[in-house]
Amino acid sequence: MSDAVRLQLEDFSQDEEVRALRASSQRMGGIAIFLGCARDFSEGRDVCEIGFDAYRPMALAELERLRAEAIERFSLLDARIVHRLGTVRAGDNIVFIAAGAEHRAPALEACRWMIDELKERVPIWKKEITPTGESWVTPHP
Amino acid sequence: MIKVLFFGPVADRVGLRQIEVPFRDGLCWQDVRDVLQPQYPEAFALVSVTAVNGERVRDDGHTPLADGAEIVFMSRVSGG
Repeated sequence: MSDAVRLQLEDFSQDEEVRALRASSQRMGGIAIFLGCARDFSEGRDVCEIGFDAYRPMALAELERLRAEAIERFSLLDARIVHRLGTVRAGDNIVFIAAGAEHRAPALEACRWMIDELKERVPIWKKEITPTGESWVTPHP
Repeated sequence: MIKVLFFGPVADRVGLRQIEVPFRDGLCWQDVRDVLQPQYPEAFALVSVTAVNGERVRDDGHTPLADGAEIVFMSRVSGG
């Protein structure tokens, strides 16, 4: 089975990730999923591709820590985080987060918390590639 | 030697992804920043976080580094 936290160039399968999450416990009554995708339009411009740069060892360690904190904080049964690096095309998957808990409320809260924390803490940078040039994304809520 | 790494927009503005700085006893990450910032002011204008050996630093920059330490001067992250 693949690791619960991964940084990878290739796409991921949501079905496989959910299957792996569900395999960790039959007590899971609620699973919340966040799927981040590459938009084809941003800040008034067409976007063809998005490039990702990362301080990989620290990013992976920070994601592991984030998952452990979420499991502890929301009493999750399991959680998974997969983030792609390299270049993705508009419409492609970027990030997958899943939280499994006994009930829906902690699963939903944990999922929201993990993507918000990821955007604040994990050393990954996103560059939008447009027909007229490239620009690094300025963080916003 | 001290290895200094740059990523994302900071790397673009520096024009490099890695620089090596000679080690000396008592050298701190703030000393390294004081050397590099005047050389790359546009890059350091973006820097909001510093990491030493893969950990975000929370000290005042005056903890001595070990030879071979890795420093990353980072801008705000934008993953996800």
